[in-house]
Amino acid sequence: MLQIRDARRVFFRGMPDEKVALDGLSLKLARGDFAVVIGSNGAGKSTMMNAVSGALMLDQGSITINGTDVTAMPVHDRARHVARVFQDPMKGTAASMTIAENMLLAEMRQTPARLRRGLTPARRETYREHLSYLGLGLENRLDTPVSLLSGGQRQSLSLVMAVSGEPDILLLDEHTAALDPRTADLVLNATLRAVSALKLTTMMVTHNMAHAIDYGNRIIMLDAGKVLLELSGEEKARATVPDLIGHFSVKSDRMLLGA
Amino acid sequence: MDILSAWIALIPVTLAQSLILSFVVLAVMLPFRILAFPDLTSEGAYPLGGCVCAVALVAGVPPLPALLLAAAAGFLAGCATAFIHLRFRIHTLLAGILITTMLYSINLRILGKANLPVFNEPKIYDWLAGLSLTGSWAKILLAGGLALITCLALNLWFATERGTAMRAVGANSDMAEAQGINVWRATIGGIGLAGAAAALGGGLMVQSQGFADVNMGLGVLINALAALMIGEAIVGRRTVMRQVAAPFVGALVYYQLISICLAAGLPPGDLKIATGVFVLAMLAAPTLGLRRKGGGTPAKESFRE
Repeated sequence: MLQIRDARRVFFRGMPDEKVALDGLSLKLARGDFAVVIGSNGAGKSTMMNAVSGALMLDQGSITINGTDVTAMPVHDRARHVARVFQDPMKGTAASMTIAENMLLAEMRQTPARLRRGLTPARRETYREHLSYLGLGLENRLDTPVSLLSGGQRQSLSLVMAVSGEPDILLLDEHTAALDPRTADLVLNATLRAVSALKLTTMMVTHNMAHAIDYGNRIIMLDAGKVLLELSGEEKARATVPDLIGHFSVKSDRMLLGA
Repeated sequence: MDILSAWIALIPVTLAQSLILSFVVLAVMLPFRILAFPDLTSEGAYPLGGCVCAVALVAGVPPLPALLLAAAAGFLAGCATAFIHLRFRIHTLLAGILITTMLYSINLRILGKANLPVFNEPKIYDWLAGLSLTGSWAKILLAGGLALITCLALNLWFATERGTAMRAVGANSDMAEAQGINVWRATIGGIGLAGAAAALGGGLMVQSQGFADVNMGLGVLINALAALMIGEAIVGRRTVMRQVAAPFVGALVYYQLISICLAAGLPPGDLKIATGVFVLAMLAAPTLGLRRKGGGTPAKESFRE
């Protein structure tokens, strides 16, 4: 489904602060896999997400989705395959546009915009139904500008938009990190329901080790731009929070010694 | 009483002028409000349209194709501004200034001299001579009809899938791109459309005044901006329809205000300060709490860098 081969990306090449963000990272996800991606700051998690979404081009290596080589495909073409929810609720929606218009934009990921009427009554009915699954009452506020929604509501809307049209790959980039604990739970539960109902191939970045243990069928730990640890099946079931944190401390010790 | 009668006598002329220039106001609004791309290209695209139209008329091109040629030239100018912003990451305002500066030389080349009269060539306004409409009223009817059609067409356009996609590029370009929208195409197309509108205004003005001048664009931008601010203060920006109507309403009101100033005996040289005061008043009003809630312009806006 998703295959990253020997991905390499260097920032500030040739300068004193040169940084190897991805250092020959390879990764393979099967259809329906729900991988939780963990790793310390600067391990390359966001760079990997950006590389998959197309926001960042690789220096070397390749990315294949569903057998299609997307390595050089620009973001707007890759949108047909990849949907993403960002950490910042402001990033995933168009604030000055209404909820219904945002839903329409998400729908057009799959069917490119044409010269025909956008918000038809039939579409509004579909959006109402999709939004009602959230239980936030957004289905009755289709014509409200998104700027009037709370962060949690915006993030929930981003999620509904991302899963609409059942993307080949769903990227969740710490998408509950900016929310208060109750709202974060709400958004996470909605995520889990959508991912299991639609059997989406998902990569979720999180700093919450309990989430890594509890959710998904795989744990992928990145370090220095490579996959440091990969757990699935039995191994993942046996993993505990202290285990995972133990892998972090190796890194921090080295950082301390190196510094 | 003198002021009133002088103003009333000026109304037809002013109406015709404001309807023609409403296309330039539209050309300021589209990039600024819809695409979050503050743009100065219209200062160059407006005389470009005028020069192309004049030269075409003199070469024997009929009035309507001459206007279409003008609009096409303006479209290219807008595309050029959008392209140099996107490709070379030059600030939108600077990109517009560069294109406008270069357009001055181009306009002079097109015209061949600083001023070209087209008094004896056929004009688009002659079409209404059959209805025994002449002078200002022919211009009002024709430019007004064109403005109305443009306004309705834009409303329809922004309700289509593509129009919605174009608005999304202005609302949040990263998000738009992640939703599969080609940001380059929407930006270049949108800014091109604005350039075409400004050039169309230039073409209409040349056919109205009977000559083209390379300097006819001087200050047209600040007038258009003033008109836009006034229009937005009157109709607001809450819906697409209001946003699209604002340039036309604003142009009508603004040029009447200027006309009142002239009727009151203000020397033409002082009009710039009057314009400046109008713009300042419109921009300052929300911070002074003088306007109703919800209709105003937010004090802070975010634009593309």
